Amino acid sequence: MSTLQSWAALAVLAPLAAALLCVVLPPLRKAGKPAAALCLLSSLVSAGSALYLLTQHETGSVSRTTIPWIVFGGKAIASIGVHVDATSVVMLVVVTMVALCVQIFSTAYMHDEKPSSYGRYFTLHALFLFSMNTLVVAPNLMQLFAGWELVGLTSYLLIGFWFQKPSAAKASVKAFWMTKLADMGFVFALLVLFVATRGFEWSARLSTETATLVTALLFLAVVGKSAQFPLHVWLPDAMEGPTPVSALLHAATMVAAGVFLIVRADPLFAQAPATRDVMLWIGSGTALFAACLALVQTDIKKVLAYSTCSQLGYMVAALGAGSAFAGFFHLGTHAFFKALLFLGAGSVIHAVHSNELADMGGLRKKMPWTALTFGLGALSLAGVPGLAGFFSKDHVLSELEGRAGWIPWALLMLTSFLTAFYMGRVLIKAFGGAPSAKAHHAHESGGAMLLPLFVLAVPAVGAGFFGGKLAEWSGAEYHLHLGLTPIVASCLALGGIFAALAVFGRGKTAPFTSVLEGLDRASAVDRTWAGLYRHVLLGVSAVMGFIDRYVVDGLMNAIGYSTIESGASVRRLQTGRIHDYAMAVVVGALLIVLWGVLR
Amino acid sequence: MNNLTLLVFLPLVGALLVAATPKAAVSAQRAITLVTMLATMVLGLSVCLDFDGASAAAQHVIERPWFSLPGASGSVPIAFKLGLDGISVLMVALTALLGPIVVLSTWGHIHERVKEFMVWLLVMQTGMLGVFLSLDLVLFYVFWEVSLVPLYFILGIWGGDRRLYATIKFFLYTLSGSLVMMIAVIALLYQLGTADIPTLIERVSSLPHGTQVWMFGAFALAFCIKVPVMPFHTWLPDAHTEAPTSGSVILAGVLLKMGTYGLLRFCIQMFPGISLEAAPWMMGLGAAGIVYGAWLASAQNDIKRLVACSSVSHLGYVVLGLFALTQAGLRGSVLQMVNHGISTGLLFLLVGMIYERRHTRALDQYGGIASVMPVYAVFFVVTVLSSVGLPGLNGFVGEYLILLGSFQASPWIAAVSVTGVIFGAVYLLMATRKFLWGPVTHKANEGLADLGAREVGLMVPLVVLCFWIGFAPNTFLDRTDGSIDALVKRIDAARAVRTAALAPVEAPLVATEGETR
Repeated sequence: MSTLQSWAALAVLAPLAAALLCVVLPPLRKAGKPAAALCLLSSLVSAGSALYLLTQHETGSVSRTTIPWIVFGGKAIASIGVHVDATSVVMLVVVTMVALCVQIFSTAYMHDEKPSSYGRYFTLHALFLFSMNTLVVAPNLMQLFAGWELVGLTSYLLIGFWFQKPSAAKASVKAFWMTKLADMGFVFALLVLFVATRGFEWSARLSTETATLVTALLFLAVVGKSAQFPLHVWLPDAMEGPTPVSALLHAATMVAAGVFLIVRADPLFAQAPATRDVMLWIGSGTALFAACLALVQTDIKKVLAYSTCSQLGYMVAALGAGSAFAGFFHLGTHAFFKALLFLGAGSVIHAVHSNELADMGGLRKKMPWTALTFGLGALSLAGVPGLAGFFSKDHVLSELEGRAGWIPWALLMLTSFLTAFYMGRVLIKAFGGAPSAKAHHAHESGGAMLLPLFVLAVPAVGAGFFGGKLAEWSGAEYHLHLGLTPIVASCLALGGIFAALAVFGRGKTAPFTSVLEGLDRASAVDRTWAGLYRHVLLGVSAVMGFIDRYVVDGLMNAIGYSTIESGASVRRLQTGRIHDYAMAVVVGALLIVLWGVLR
Repeated sequence: MNNLTLLVFLPLVGALLVAATPKAAVSAQRAITLVTMLATMVLGLSVCLDFDGASAAAQHVIERPWFSLPGASGSVPIAFKLGLDGISVLMVALTALLGPIVVLSTWGHIHERVKEFMVWLLVMQTGMLGVFLSLDLVLFYVFWEVSLVPLYFILGIWGGDRRLYATIKFFLYTLSGSLVMMIAVIALLYQLGTADIPTLIERVSSLPHGTQVWMFGAFALAFCIKVPVMPFHTWLPDAHTEAPTSGSVILAGVLLKMGTYGLLRFCIQMFPGISLEAAPWMMGLGAAGIVYGAWLASAQNDIKRLVACSSVSHLGYVVLGLFALTQAGLRGSVLQMVNHGISTGLLFLLVGMIYERRHTRALDQYGGIASVMPVYAVFFVVTVLSSVGLPGLNGFVGEYLILLGSFQASPWIAAVSVTGVIFGAVYLLMATRKFLWGPVTHKANEGLADLGAREVGLMVPLVVLCFWIGFAPNTFLDRTDGSIDALVKRIDAARAVRTAALAPVEAPLVATEGETR
C-alpha cells in the first residue's frame, strides 16, 4: 500500500475506530462528552487525511489497493480496498469537511440532550462518516454498494434519532423502505454485471443492451437515494431528524451519493445513451417539480429539502447530458452552500424553537451573523453571479444547451428563476420584516454554531474558482465564457430575487400560490406510495395470511384428520397416545445405536 | 475412542448424569447440562478447526461394522460410520455452538420439570450432531428420528396454551416425512447393497432413471417438510409460537437445517442428474417461499409468528441457492444455513427475553421499548439488520452469493427473489418500529428491566459471529471449498451426460445451439 492509499484508508478507518470504541464501551458512550470528543477527533483525522490527499494530488494519478473479501477456490469474487483518484479525493474532502463542520455545530445544537443520547448521536455520526468514506473510496461497485447500504442504515437511525416521536419513527422507516425499494436496482445491476464480466468494475466494457440494463438498474437506485421523482417522497419527511443531520446526510453528502455513483460509473453510463436520455428528463423534471413545491412550504427545513431534490435534479440532468464533470462540480458546490443553509436554519430553529417561517421574521437584527452567512448561502444557491452556485449551475446549463430540443434547458432555466424566488422568500420571511412573537426573544447562537457557518461560507462563496482545477483533473473542458446561458441564468437569478422582494417584501402572495398549495396538499405521489403500501402490500399480506391459515393449512389439516379417521379401525392395536409412540421411537433408536457402538 | 464418537455421545452421557440426579436438585441439573454442552462445544469446535477445507474427503472418520440387512444381492452390511466433510463442518460447528447458549437461555423460562427438560435437550444434541456426522444411511435415519422426538416433548410439555395442537401437527408432519424417507432408504439399501453414503453416492447412477426419480422425490419431500418449503410450512408458525424460547431457538437454529442439509447431502449429492431436472421446480418453490413468507410475516401481530414466517422466507433463499446448482449458489446456501441459525436464533432469544418480562407476544402490546431497555434495543436492531442482509453483517454475504448463483441459473427466478430484499426490510423494520420506537404506550412496559449479564453474555458470541461472517466470510467459506468443488464437478458431469442424452433429439431442430446448456 502506497502512502496515499494509507492516508485514504486512514480517512475511512479513523471514524470506524471511534464508532467501535463507543459501541463496545457503553460507559464512554453514556458519558456523552468524551464520546463526542473522540468522534470529533476521528473526523478531524479523516478531514486532515483528505486535505493532505488533495494537496498531493496530481492530474491523472490513479492508484488502488484491494484485499479479497469473498473468496472461493482461491479466487476472489469480491474485494475491498481503496481507490485514490481525483473523484474520490475531491469527494472525500467535501464529505469530511462538511461532516467536521456539522459535528462541531452539533456539539452546541444537541447540548440539551441527555448524555447517553448525546453519545449515541456522535457514535452514529462516526458510523456515518465511516460508511460514507467507504462508499467514496470504493475500488469497485460492490464496496460502493456496501457503503451505500450502510449510509442508508445510518440515515435510518439518525432520522429516527428522536425515536420517541411517532412521526420521527415513521419517517425513518419510510426513508429506509423507499431507498431499499430502489436499492433492488443496485442489487440487480451487480448481478447482471457480475454474470457479464465476472467482476464489479465500473470500467467494464459491455454490449449496449447489457450496459443499458445495468445503468438503468443503477439509475433506479439513484432515483431512490438522490430523491428523484417519483421516489423523492421520503426526503421531506426525513427532516424529522435533528437539523445538523439534515445538513450532513439529507443535503450535502448522503443524498449526493446517487450522483456520485453515476460519476463513478460514468464509463458504464457512457455505453448506454438510452439511460442517459431518461436521466436528462427525470433530472430536469424533478428540478422544476421540487422547486414549485419548495415555493409553498411553510417549514424552513422543508423548503430546503425540496430545494435539495431540485438541485440534485440539476446534477442528474447534467449527468444525463453526458457531463460527469458538470454534475460532480455542482455536487461539490451544492454540498457546501446547502450544508451552510441547513446549519443556518438550525441556528434559527435553535433560537426560535420552531421550524415554521411564520414564527420567525426580523432575525437579521437579532442574529446578524447567522443572517449574513445564511444570506450568502442563499444567494449562492440562487445562482447570483460570482458565487459558487453560479459557476457550477451555469456549467450544468451550458452542457444542456441544445439537448432534446432545448426543453430540459428551458425547464432548468425556469427552475433557476424559481430557486432565486423561493430563497428570496425564505430570506425575507425569516430575516426581514418585523419579528413574530417567538422571534422576539431570539438571540445569536454561540461560537460553536457560528464557527461552522463561517467556515462553510468560504467555499459556498468561493468554491466556484476551483472549477478549473477540478476540470483539469477530470479531463473535462471548462472555461468561462460570456454566452447565452450565463447571461440568461444571471438575469433569471437576479430577477427571481427582485421578484421575491417585490412580492414577499410587500407582504403579498405569489401568483399560482393556491395552485401550488393545492398540489402540495394533494401530495399525489406520496399518497400513491402510501396507498400501494397500505392497500396492496398490507392488503395482500392480510389476504395471504387468511389463505395460509384456512386454505393451505386447512387442506393439510383435512388430510391429517382423514388419516386419523381411517386409522381408527386399527385403533385397538395401539394405545393411541403419541407419547408412547414417541418414547418407543427414541428408546428403540438409542438402543440400536448403543448396541452398535458397544458391540 | 474416535473424537467424533465422543462428540456425538458426550451429550448423551450428560443426559444420563442428569437423569441420575434427584428431581429437586435443579441447580445441579442445570450445571451438569451446561458443563456437558460447553464440553461438547469445545470438542465440536476443535474438531471443526482441525479440518482441512481444501480436501473433499471425509475426515476424522470412524467406521465399525454393526449389523446386516438382507438385500437384493446378498446381505447389506450396516456400519457405525461417522465423518466430517465440507458439507457438514459448518453445521456441526453451529450445533455445537448453540448448545450452551440454549441451555443458558432456559434459566429464564424453564422452571418446571427442569430435569426432564435438560435430558431432552442433551438427547436432542446427540441426535442433531449424529445427523450431520453420519456417513451410513441407516445410522443417519436413526439419528434423524432421535432428534425429532425430544422436540415433541419440549413442545408438548413446556409449550404455550395451544401446545397440543401444535405438537400433534408437528409430529404428524415430520413423521409422514420420515416415513416417506424410510421407504426410499430401504429401497436404496436393498437395491444397491450398501448403506455407506460415499459408496451410495458413487453407485446411485447405476439405477434406472425412473427409480432415481421417485427416490429423489421421497427424499425431497421429507426434507422439504422439514425445512419447511412452501406449501409444507404451516406446521412451523404453530410450532414456533407454542414452543418455549429454547425450543424455538433449537428448532430454528439447527433442526430446520437438517432439512436443507438433507437436500444437499441426499438429493443433490446423491442424485445430481435428477437434481438438474428438478432444479427449476425447486428454485421456483424456494423463490415462492421467499416472497410468500415475507408477505405472510407482514400480516402478523404475534411476534413469534412473524419470526417464524420470516424463517420460511429466509430458508427459501437456502433452497433457491442449493438448486441453482452453481458454485456461488451452493456456497451461499451453506453459509446462509449458518447465518439463519445465528440471526433467527438471536431473534427468538430476544423475543423470549421480552416474553419472560411481559408474558405477551402481541406486537401492539409493545412500543417504546427502546426507551426502557436500551441494551435490548441495540441487540434487537443488530439482529434485525443481520436478518435484513445489511452489508458488513452475515446475512448479506450468504444472500448475495445465493442471488448470484441463482441469477446464473435462472435470471427470472432470481428477479422474483430479489423482491424478498425489500419485503424483508418491510416487515422487520415495521416490527422494529412498532416494538422499539415511539413513546411507551402501555403502563406495563414502563418498569421493564433491561437485559442482565447472563442474557447479554449468551448473545454476544452470536453477535460477534454476525460481524465476523460479514467482514471475513472466508474463514467459513474456506472450510467448504474442497467438498463444494467436488460436488460442482459431479453436477457438471451430470449436466454433460444430460446434454449428450438430449443432443440427438434437439440437434436437427437447433443445430447451432447444441452446446448452449
